Amino acid sequence: MEGVRVGEIRYHDFRNLAVVELNAGPGVNLIVGPNAQGKTNLLEGLHLLSTGRLLRGSREAQAVRHDQPRAAVEAALQPHGTTVRVNIEPGVRKRALINGLGLPRAADLIGRLPSVSFSSQDLAVVSGEPADRRHLLDTELSQVYPAYLNHFSVYKRALEQRNALLRRAQESHVEDEAFEVWEEQLAHHGAAMRVQRQEWVDGLADLATERHAALGDGEVLSVSYRAADQGELSQSLASNRGHDIHRGSTSVGPHRDDLDIQVAGAEARHFGSQGQQRTAVVAIKLAVLALAERAFGFPPMLLLDDIFSDLDDRRRSHLMDVAFEAGGQVFVTCTEAEQAGAKLLGSAKIFRVKCGRLEEK
Amino acid sequence: MQFARPLADLIAQLERLPGVGPKSAQRLAFHILRTPEDDVRRLAEALRHARESLRLCTECQNVSETATCPICADPTRHRREICVVGEPRDIASIERLNEFKGVYHVLHGLLNPLDGVGPDQIKVRELLVRLEGQVDEVILATNPTIEGDTTALYLAKLIKPVGVKVTRLAHGMPVGGELDYADNATLLSALEYRREM
Repeated sequence: MEGVRVGEIRYHDFRNLAVVELNAGPGVNLIVGPNAQGKTNLLEGLHLLSTGRLLRGSREAQAVRHDQPRAAVEAALQPHGTTVRVNIEPGVRKRALINGLGLPRAADLIGRLPSVSFSSQDLAVVSGEPADRRHLLDTELSQVYPAYLNHFSVYKRALEQRNALLRRAQESHVEDEAFEVWEEQLAHHGAAMRVQRQEWVDGLADLATERHAALGDGEVLSVSYRAADQGELSQSLASNRGHDIHRGSTSVGPHRDDLDIQVAGAEARHFGSQGQQRTAVVAIKLAVLALAERAFGFPPMLLLDDIFSDLDDRRRSHLMDVAFEAGGQVFVTCTEAEQAGAKLLGSAKIFRVKCGRLEEK
Repeated sequence: MQFARPLADLIAQLERLPGVGPKSAQRLAFHILRTPEDDVRRLAEALRHARESLRLCTECQNVSETATCPICADPTRHRREICVVGEPRDIASIERLNEFKGVYHVLHGLLNPLDGVGPDQIKVRELLVRLEGQVDEVILATNPTIEGDTTALYLAKLIKPVGVKVTRLAHGMPVGGELDYADNATLLSALEYRREM
């Protein structure tokens, strides 16, 4: 299958980018500039077109340039020239359009321009909380399998409803049937999520171990999925109901699961050195990239945001080599072009960013 | 700035309506002030009359001027088929088709613990009472949202033991729509519930 890539990208009042046009090359695009000039914003715009969402933790109101009513990002996708666009207007539902026609939901953009992002936020995949690891699972699986996104969003809503019911039951009697219907929804969609997560992590584990070995620390990385509870979820939910009413939240289900990441036989989150953790993150992200490529049949767009400050020379150049050899479209931000290394500089299209303006070199 | 007391009262009342914020309330209030007195009187009368003369049909719980609504009172409707909907406006959608010959039941809401809505807050008990009579089929036509689906699940659990056939409206591709513009959720459900040809 032929790879999808972006050609011309237009930003309109998106964060500090008033009117910016970026004519991306098919290979490596290097975005260079001092900090706080808008480099990450350029990448976030691409992430938005790929996923229909802003970066984790961003608010829509902040995505619109100061004193402007709305923001938009638009790009022409090659090879067919399809235009994708996302409009953001605070107080109004975010809107995604394909060739000028609105999609029912912004999330329906997913899958049209696959991407894998890597930024300093990703270090949390190894060193952070279980929620950070579930976030990786949920975003990557949603991108590859729209059915997963569907199970995930219904599950989230049903979980909020059951939790509301638990709090209600602290004050007055709630009949069992009222719980059962929400628990049935949780059990159905939660079980489907776990099957897809398990399968995806099994595929990821081998690739991550392989990538880790290639990074050459001589240690073994192992990744596995760890479910918070065993057996039928509907039964676990029913038998934990009393306990859950007491604590006011749901104690079993995929929203409590985690990834077990070990380096040289020890849990990397608690016992790994900073170096071990970073190598593990790079290996896992490279495995994510390989899995996505396998699913789509072509290398997804790779968005590398300011990874140079977080990684040492060896890990960085390995990451860049693999990214380059994958042959897909790559966007890299850095403060100095030289950081990218001679190999990349030779073939990259270079853009300089200053105060939200772009200059092509 | 301070508005004259009657104007402030009007704005405060309008603000209490759903979907009306402070700005819209002001805009509506000033519009009403500029409207000829006769028109305003007609609006006030329509509000009062609607509120006072309408009640819920004792059978189906739809809003009605009479104790039994025209649909429930119609001898040509099949009373053994009950179509359950969330809101009165859903009846209008199905009636427009001129296809369904049964009667309705309006729940006036869907199960939604986040909004404090449980089975006691909607017209579930009234539906169960109706099933004590002769009923062949209950068609669950609540919205295909998580709350609508869960409400349907709840009703099915209660109705099935009574021995009445329970069906749910199908979901799938919009007719005349194009695959490329369908949302993923609809497309997925259309694939899951595909039929043999």
